Amino acid sequence: MANVTSFYLSRVIGNKVYSEDKKVLGKLLDLIVDAKNIRPKVIAAKVKSGKDVQIVDFSFFIIYKEKGQYVIETRNLKPIDVQREDTIMLVKHILDKQIVDMNGRKVVRVNDIRLAVLSTGVYVIAVDIGLEGLLRRLGLAKPLKKVLKPLGKSIPSRLILWDDVEPLASPRLDLKLSTTYSKLSTLHPSDLADIIEELDKKTQAYVFSTLDEEKAADVLEELDVEAQRNVLESLPVEKAADLLEKMPADEVADILDEIKEERAEELLNEMEKEASEEVKELMEYPENTVGSIMTTDFIAFKTHFTVEQTIEELRRLKPEPDEIYYLYVVDNEERLCGVVSLRDLVISEPQTPLYEIMSRNVVYVKDMDNVNSLVEIISKYSLLAVPVVDDNKRLIGVVIINDIVYELLKVRKKLV
Amino acid sequence: MPQIAKKQRLKNILLILGVIGPGLVTATADNDASGIATYAMVGAMFGYKMLWGLFLITISLAVIQEMAARMGVVTGKGLSDLIREHFGVKMTFFAMITLLIANLTTTIGEFAGIAASLEIFGISKYISVPLTALFVWYIINKGSYKKTEKFFLALMVIYVSYVISGFLAKPDWKEVLKNTFVPSFSFNSTFILIFIAMIGTTITPWMQFYLQSSVVDKGVDVKNLKYQKWDVFLGAFWTDFIAFFIIVATAATLHKHGIVIETAEDAAKALQPLAGKYASALFAIGLFGASLLGAHILPLSTAYAVTEAFGFENGLNKKMKEAPVFYGLILLFIIIGAGVILFPNIPLIKLMIIAQEINGILLPIILIYMLKLTNDKEIMGEYVNSRTFNIIAWITVVFIIILTLILLIEPFFGV
Repeated sequence: MANVTSFYLSRVIGNKVYSEDKKVLGKLLDLIVDAKNIRPKVIAAKVKSGKDVQIVDFSFFIIYKEKGQYVIETRNLKPIDVQREDTIMLVKHILDKQIVDMNGRKVVRVNDIRLAVLSTGVYVIAVDIGLEGLLRRLGLAKPLKKVLKPLGKSIPSRLILWDDVEPLASPRLDLKLSTTYSKLSTLHPSDLADIIEELDKKTQAYVFSTLDEEKAADVLEELDVEAQRNVLESLPVEKAADLLEKMPADEVADILDEIKEERAEELLNEMEKEASEEVKELMEYPENTVGSIMTTDFIAFKTHFTVEQTIEELRRLKPEPDEIYYLYVVDNEERLCGVVSLRDLVISEPQTPLYEIMSRNVVYVKDMDNVNSLVEIISKYSLLAVPVVDDNKRLIGVVIINDIVYELLKVRKKLV
Repeated sequence: MPQIAKKQRLKNILLILGVIGPGLVTATADNDASGIATYAMVGAMFGYKMLWGLFLITISLAVIQEMAARMGVVTGKGLSDLIREHFGVKMTFFAMITLLIANLTTTIGEFAGIAASLEIFGISKYISVPLTALFVWYIINKGSYKKTEKFFLALMVIYVSYVISGFLAKPDWKEVLKNTFVPSFSFNSTFILIFIAMIGTTITPWMQFYLQSSVVDKGVDVKNLKYQKWDVFLGAFWTDFIAFFIIVATAATLHKHGIVIETAEDAAKALQPLAGKYASALFAIGLFGASLLGAHILPLSTAYAVTEAFGFENGLNKKMKEAPVFYGLILLFIIIGAGVILFPNIPLIKLMIIAQEINGILLPIILIYMLKLTNDKEIMGEYVNSRTFNIIAWITVVFIIILTLILLIEPFFGV
């Protein structure tokens, strides 16, 4: 009899459970852990005795090793009630299922689970996602190791610490965690989007629905078309519309172009009028025109504004960084007549009106121009953004360099 | 009121068109090289005698495909995902070994089809097979399979010519009808083997995986499950409608004149009532399309199924270094599939039929997994199998197992 300090779940599941006088009490089916702790502790075991399956208190259990095999012994099988919330069943919810590896930022499948035996109890410490885990489950790990050892080779094993694991709760698995996705939401939106894209459609929708609104809007922007479509079609209309309102109108127009027309209508109707009008206008532009990729979230100031007024206005609006590359100046008919930079504002006297400091030859494009002409202009004049005007030279939008890069990538992907 | 009814009907049609696709595409791909060879063999060897079998298989096919599609719609997961999550590593390993054997033999059958069809045009297999193998590898790697798929499917429309040929051959319709509904059976191994091959080519293990992931990719909503059902049923009907006429056409031409199919050229003769001297060319083009489609689908869907089950990186958007197992499997399948055909004097038609016999024998294993999954309330919720479906599927399983057993004991008793 040897003490055990740590063991793999697969080595004990399905084993017989013995009483202290070595009588067989049943078979171990699953271990249940308390997920509220950072180190989840095993609190109960699912044991099958005869035809009955019961959940019993784990504190009476000991595990030791005899002749190379793990022996599970218990003083008694005392049934206990475990609450459903915040408990994880290791076999049912984790083993063989997909989890998120927070370090690798990837969705991976769990081949085995590593547990540690301490004086205070048994704890989950890591999950095994490597080849060794698979072979162990097939009963091939040990024999293969023996063969490979003389050759100086080993089987690659990959363990992820439990701290770096996010279980994928979903309604299908019937797993309820109050800490759901607290780890996930710390990720950068584009990393999170990559992970969500890897999930199946149901889990995708579920994970997405647990994100807070700000995060959800950021992630939605980063998702690929298919995932965007799936998420928008499975979320409740009101919630989806709220998200869309938080996003730039040009992004929304792009997304709505891709989803079912019926659903797009529904979403537009649900959105606030102002936001949806903007989107609708953008959606009317044919593909490959400047209008279809421009953003309508831009800042423009009237010619007679003073530098002081302008700066005050900027403080009030707190625009996004990519909205203040250039500040456009328009006349009373909204016609584009100049551009000022932040530098111009900073170095000028507070009372100077904008028309005195603005640069009058602004490079601009028309909304119905082809996207290709934009690329030329941007590279020729090394611009970060280009203003878009309609036939009456009224300023109606801005194209930011990011959107053009995206557009170019899209074209390249299509060609491949 | 009629206005509303009309609107409703229009809406229904739109909904059906929205979900249609996976079932119909899978069904068309089901009539692959080995399928054509097998049905032709059935007709040539046994005339109309197995038509009743095809009729019953159609029902099984519809039921089993619907199970796969329903699993896809309800869980949003692929079949191998579900197998892994609910049966653990050992049982998954067993299922995957089964699938690998079945799919590898089918892949060999597809390359046999490529060789056989191009031989009709006088192209040596030593040229056609390596070149197509390279082509398949190139198309898959470029990720443009989805685009080329439509082209292959279009080539397969040629099989509609079997329907016309079947009529022009003036079969004895009374015989046809009788044999479709009245079973007859011979207890000799040739009959049983061909019968198993007929089941194995109509209901294949790979189709279940392929269909389920197509449905998942399409993202059909549970609300539209009943429309998905019609897509699948229509597909099953379409597959066997063509199969039926292949058998009738070959029975009325080849079987009547006692011609045994040994080469693709022989099988092509069934199209003579329609195409005369162009029969061979017509047959060859169709067979080539079917084989090429299969040669893409099988390596690809096997690689997806296995990597999904064991959690290896997969996907055509990954680089070869990132997903070595995935690309390795695809490559292995193409190399073995094409390699076997290059053995001198290998009988191509026979090879295609053997592939289907193996598929038929292995099918019950995959079906049992599917039955377990579709009856699990935790997975399917309220959408578990109905009793009728269970009975039909289980009868199929038991029937194939009995046939296999007879096959095994037959040599000892010499029945």
